[in-house]
Amino acid sequence: MDELEFQKRVSANPRDLDDEVLAAVRANPDFQKIVDKALAFEDSLVSLIEAPEAPEGLLAQLLSIPGNDELESEKVPQAHSNVSPIRAKKQSYFQYYSVAASLILAVGIVFSLNFNGGPSSADIVFGNELLAHLHHDIEEIDDITNGETYEILDLDEINFSMANAGTRLVSYDGTQGFDVRSAKPCEILPAYQSAHLVLKGSYGAVSVIVINNSPVDVKFSIRDERFNGIVVPMEQGNMILVGEKNEDLNQYASMFSENVEWVI
Amino acid sequence: MSEIPVLKGNTKKQRYESLVAALYQDVFRYAFWICKSKPMAEDLVQETFLRAWRSLESLQNDKAAKAWLFTILRRENARQYERYRPELVDIDGQSIAESASNEPDSKMDRELLHNAINRLESEYREPLLLQVIGGFSGKEIAEILKLNNNTVMTRLFRARGKLKAEFGLNTELHED
Repeated sequence: MDELEFQKRVSANPRDLDDEVLAAVRANPDFQKIVDKALAFEDSLVSLIEAPEAPEGLLAQLLSIPGNDELESEKVPQAHSNVSPIRAKKQSYFQYYSVAASLILAVGIVFSLNFNGGPSSADIVFGNELLAHLHHDIEEIDDITNGETYEILDLDEINFSMANAGTRLVSYDGTQGFDVRSAKPCEILPAYQSAHLVLKGSYGAVSVIVINNSPVDVKFSIRDERFNGIVVPMEQGNMILVGEKNEDLNQYASMFSENVEWVI
Repeated sequence: MSEIPVLKGNTKKQRYESLVAALYQDVFRYAFWICKSKPMAEDLVQETFLRAWRSLESLQNDKAAKAWLFTILRRENARQYERYRPELVDIDGQSIAESASNEPDSKMDRELLHNAINRLESEYREPLLLQVIGGFSGKEIAEILKLNNNTVMTRLFRARGKLKAEFGLNTELHED
């Protein structure tokens, strides 16, 4: 075996040297240096390549699969007997993907603001759905950004739309820095009611969306080529604020979170 | 060679539970590396074990359990996530931050290595991760990837060569 072939075989599989390679080492002691070097590299590689441990709770979830699967088989009609709770969650998850893909209105980036745990997969999909919704309403957003005339709404008009998401603003006088120019019910996720307010911010329109779906795991950020946003979990739903790149959204988050009351 | 789990028990459920206990950490680590996100890896592992549970009868040889699970996982990943994958900033932030060693040199090396592995073409990255994370032999990798053994060995050799090149020729990361 020549040196090049020896190097190739040792480097490809340094921890499982075959008899032929071992015989070559015995025949040529210089080859031992090649083996030592390959093993040293392998030690470094293995020590650095380690991946995180599985999250707490995953073992229990995996062990519960047989019970859930059998339970689900008993609950649903035979035609759908391959649907388990996990499967059901995933189908809706990828259903959202396909909707987002078909719209291709926005390709967003979602990242966590909390390094103790990132957004779940479902949260990431939710973030992209929100951005897609913003682009669906882009005409109105552009009008408000460009200063087209939109009257400042009063509290009753706002709360008429907020009621769709089971919320209301406790107080609002239009002079606290958040002058709402548009308020309407909307549907971002099927079966979850939501309300979409649009304000005139410092750099353009600022959207405030309140939706009564399950609160996301952590506050996280969303963005695409135009917008920045944050998704804030609330008591009984989520509040999403999206604006132009330089907009300080946290000030609006503070103002609204203090004034939003869930009524359902 | 990868370690061989012993699927204990006489019932399907007992065999499944021993399979989970023996291999879920390995499956999660590999899932994390191929989809680069903890939440996605968790979903992928759940789906993998759900499918494993449903087709456990098809696993005739316990010795092949790990390769069987990894094959299911790779298929699931290809089927579900590769069609649409949000751009995430998860892997650097989480995997490095959560690693046991946070010494500057080690952290820097870890980051460089993660980036270098992610830059490898998939034909090199896949066998390398199966070997280093999964602990599979060249022959097992060949079976999982449906390649011949020589092709796998060549790709493993080239994968390591590319990584070495990232850190300087013939150096062993920070070993020198």
